[in-house]
Amino acid sequence: MIKLLAKLLRVLNSETDPGQISLGLCFAMIAGLTPLLSLHNLFVVLLVFILRVNLSAFLLGLALFTGMAYLLDPLFHRLGLAVLTAPSLADLWTFLYQSVWWRLEHFNNSIVMGSLVFAVAMFVPVLLLSNLLIRRYRQHVMVWVQKTRIMQMFKASKLYQTYETLSSWRPG
Amino acid sequence: MAKWIRWWGLGAFVVFAAIVGCVWIFFVDGWVKGAIEGAGTKAVGAKVELDAADLSLFPAGLSLTRLQVTNPKTPMTNAVEVGRVTMSLDGLNLLRRKVIVEEMTVEGVRLDTPRTTSGAVQPVSDMSPEEESGMFALALPALEVPDVKNILEKEDLETLRMIETLKEDMQREKEAWKTRLEKLPGKAQLAQYEERVKNLKKAGKGGLDGLLGGVGEVQALKQDIEQEIQSLTGAKKEFENTVASLRTRFKQIQTAPQRDIQHLKAKYHLSPQGLANMSQTLLGPQIGWWVHQGATWYERAKPLLEGARTGEGEDGPQVHKPLRGKGLDVHFKEAHPLPDFLIRSTKVSADLNFGGLAGTVHNITTDQPTLGQPTTFDFSGDRLKGVQSVTLEGALNHVEPADSKDQFTVQAKGYELTNVALSKDAKWPVTLTSGVGDINVNTELKGQALTVHGAGILRAIHLTAGRGDDSNPLTKALSSAVTDISQLSIQADVTGTLDQPDVTVSSDLDRILQDAAGKMVNELAAKFGAELQTAISAKIAEPMQQLKNELSGFERIAGELTERVTQHHDVLSSLLEKNLPTKGLKDLPGGFKLPF
Repeated sequence: MIKLLAKLLRVLNSETDPGQISLGLCFAMIAGLTPLLSLHNLFVVLLVFILRVNLSAFLLGLALFTGMAYLLDPLFHRLGLAVLTAPSLADLWTFLYQSVWWRLEHFNNSIVMGSLVFAVAMFVPVLLLSNLLIRRYRQHVMVWVQKTRIMQMFKASKLYQTYETLSSWRPG
Repeated sequence: MAKWIRWWGLGAFVVFAAIVGCVWIFFVDGWVKGAIEGAGTKAVGAKVELDAADLSLFPAGLSLTRLQVTNPKTPMTNAVEVGRVTMSLDGLNLLRRKVIVEEMTVEGVRLDTPRTTSGAVQPVSDMSPEEESGMFALALPALEVPDVKNILEKEDLETLRMIETLKEDMQREKEAWKTRLEKLPGKAQLAQYEERVKNLKKAGKGGLDGLLGGVGEVQALKQDIEQEIQSLTGAKKEFENTVASLRTRFKQIQTAPQRDIQHLKAKYHLSPQGLANMSQTLLGPQIGWWVHQGATWYERAKPLLEGARTGEGEDGPQVHKPLRGKGLDVHFKEAHPLPDFLIRSTKVSADLNFGGLAGTVHNITTDQPTLGQPTTFDFSGDRLKGVQSVTLEGALNHVEPADSKDQFTVQAKGYELTNVALSKDAKWPVTLTSGVGDINVNTELKGQALTVHGAGILRAIHLTAGRGDDSNPLTKALSSAVTDISQLSIQADVTGTLDQPDVTVSSDLDRILQDAAGKMVNELAAKFGAELQTAISAKIAEPMQQLKNELSGFERIAGELTERVTQHHDVLSSLLEKNLPTKGLKDLPGGFKLPF
């Protein structure tokens, strides 16, 4: 975990495009919030590999959002059930229910549907927000943080030593 | 654009997918094995073990090697052990999360095989040992007349109870009527009426004014007396009804000793009825035990037949509740609906103690309403050890769960019976040493209503009965009759429900035993009855006399009521007619007449 945090710090402080970091986090949000062994997550992993998204951000985001998913399960269940039992969508779900691939996707499960709807709906807002935050961080916070007493103490910590070790590696 | 594409990532993904695929292929057999063992153990309540599972993808299929299902009651024994199970799966439906087995072959089925280790998953509860076949006491007729005096001392006779109750009722009624008599019109009222009549007479001598005033008074007096008479007549009628009811009960008591005698004869087995139903006594418990065993297995299988189908509507989405934290599966109408689990055809070959039995089961599913077809099965075996041939066929129809109908037929020909203990009663043990039977059983369970009809013919039978040192004339006669039997036909019917079956058994045995020992028992019963009659008559003589006395006490009350009614009538008819001033009234204008 310490290594992962150190990697994130390194990524944030590096020259990596903020869009790549944000996209990694957003893909992690889909894979982490929805049940991991879902068909759509295979597609997400494919995109993560093919698109030049930041893998460290994806892995850290995956751990973070998987943990959050346990807390948000009741919300996803209610959301998914509402979507699946909405009379206006009944024809669509009945049509998809006939398809082998959609059945394999297990779309008719309340948590799968709820978490997927939530993650997809949050994809663009989270992408834009994280982009903005990363830019702001680099412009204003990074220099100030470096000078704070807490950061000085942090630099003396084991976490920072790990970060330093990783910094000597070649950027990915 | 190239800035955003990582082409080597595609290769990495392929490698990643290949690794995942290899891991799945490497471990899937173990997962399947674990899943079957886990689900089986949970369902059975004892260990379900599998030596190996082999899942193949092209074509989709599964084969299981040495499946052992522990008997939960005896954890060192497998209830069922199957050598090999192979099945071909519908791969496309597997992707739709439906396990559709097109054909399954079950080979080497054996029952009650020993285990090397205990298969218990929870402590086996201390259950009382099941009643061994034939271990029940026979209600054979007694052969000695019991001591009547002792019997009457300890028995609660219905006759005495009725006498006591009637006596108490009589006393209570008598007290009630005595109280009521005091409230009814009597001598005091009669004296008042006489006084009023005298006053009227005086008024009649006072001229026309007195005469006209007296007419109204006469009318009032007459109404008062008539009301009193009505009250007395009503009370008298009510009293007569009460006495009639008490007399009826008294007559019933006179016949009660006969009922006591019949009851005591049956209780002390001095009735030939026991012999008339000996088939029921000997075979009824055994058949009842079979029904109980069948019901136990049926109740275990019933949840599987009816499945977890909870949805009501056919068209709307149906919500099924899975495990906690897994969400809910919402099911929609399918164009070609299929159950979640279905084995279309199963070929079974079993190696049982008496030989090989083979058969086919069609449409094993947890959701017959969706499939629209019942589960059917047929098994047969020829030239088996101890049985010439056996066929078993039936159908479990839960297509309409509210109108379920299960039925099966068993036919066994040339079934060899050896050393079957029909009765282990100390007084009269009976053993079927050898015999050959042809048995036909039809069972139907419609909803909760159970109907079983069984018929069997036992040929070349040899029965042994009684003990060597038996000196009892009845059991000796019965033993002699039984050992001469070479052929028997038996009819058994079971009705009621699985929880409360009502078993009826009849056979030639009843008539044979009646012929052999019926006369002997009848003579003893007649002697016992006569002694009881005498003893009971003597015992109830005094209480009956007391009842008679109590009844006669009611006659005094009846006399009193009759006398009062008569006296009131007398007052009304004689005193009024003699004393009224009727002469003067005839001279009145308009021909005025008295209104009585």
